[in-house]
Amino acid sequence: MKNNIRVERAIKGLTQEDLANKVSVSRQTINAMEANKYVPSTVLALKIARVFNKTVEEIFTLEKSD
Amino acid sequence: MSTKLLLPNRYKKLGWIILIPATLAGIILAYNEFAAAWLWAKVFAVATDGANEHYKYFSIDRANITNTVIGTLFIIGAMLVGFTKEKNEDEFIAELRLSSLLWAVCVSYLLLLIAFIFVYGSPFLDVMVYNMFTTLIIFITRFNYLMYKNSKTVADEK
Repeated sequence: MKNNIRVERAIKGLTQEDLANKVSVSRQTINAMEANKYVPSTVLALKIARVFNKTVEEIFTLEKSD
Repeated sequence: MSTKLLLPNRYKKLGWIILIPATLAGIILAYNEFAAAWLWAKVFAVATDGANEHYKYFSIDRANITNTVIGTLFIIGAMLVGFTKEKNEDEFIAELRLSSLLWAVCVSYLLLLIAFIFVYGSPFLDVMVYNMFTTLIIFITRFNYLMYKNSKTVADEK
């Protein structure tokens, strides 16, 4: 699964730390998601989408391998 | 995500304070036949064997409690370290912990398998002693390594 968290974060001018605090996870978690090393739970995906005022599908997209 | 079965973070420090001396004492005692001469005590034994080597059940006995003390402290310390929340506990850390646990069980049984095939006679008793603790040791090592690795990549990232 791909995501454009880093891009959305840049648009909003948020650091990894800022986003981490907004969705109450550690900064490692945001970093691991941006590096495609971690697929978040549905709850966390929804929280992140809410921060960016977008739908989950606008931020997370399936890849061929999924 | 709520992580059940984990103690609050403040117990982690206490765990290390117990675990480190217990490990050191264990290493020293491994070269000392696991018995400090002054550590004898009256114990309640669910099962033991007396001087005549017959098994006795539910008896009061005198025994050397070096193993008991060190082993108990080690297990309590290791469980406190292994099963407490991180300061910034979240779902990603919970996943790291679970995957470390899986890894530890696999590696520990692989080691035991190798020992089963290649160790015979009295040395196998040593294998059994060490094997009681390998899962916890490997788990704690693996989890802390993964946590360290992740905090490092975060530090590199801007």
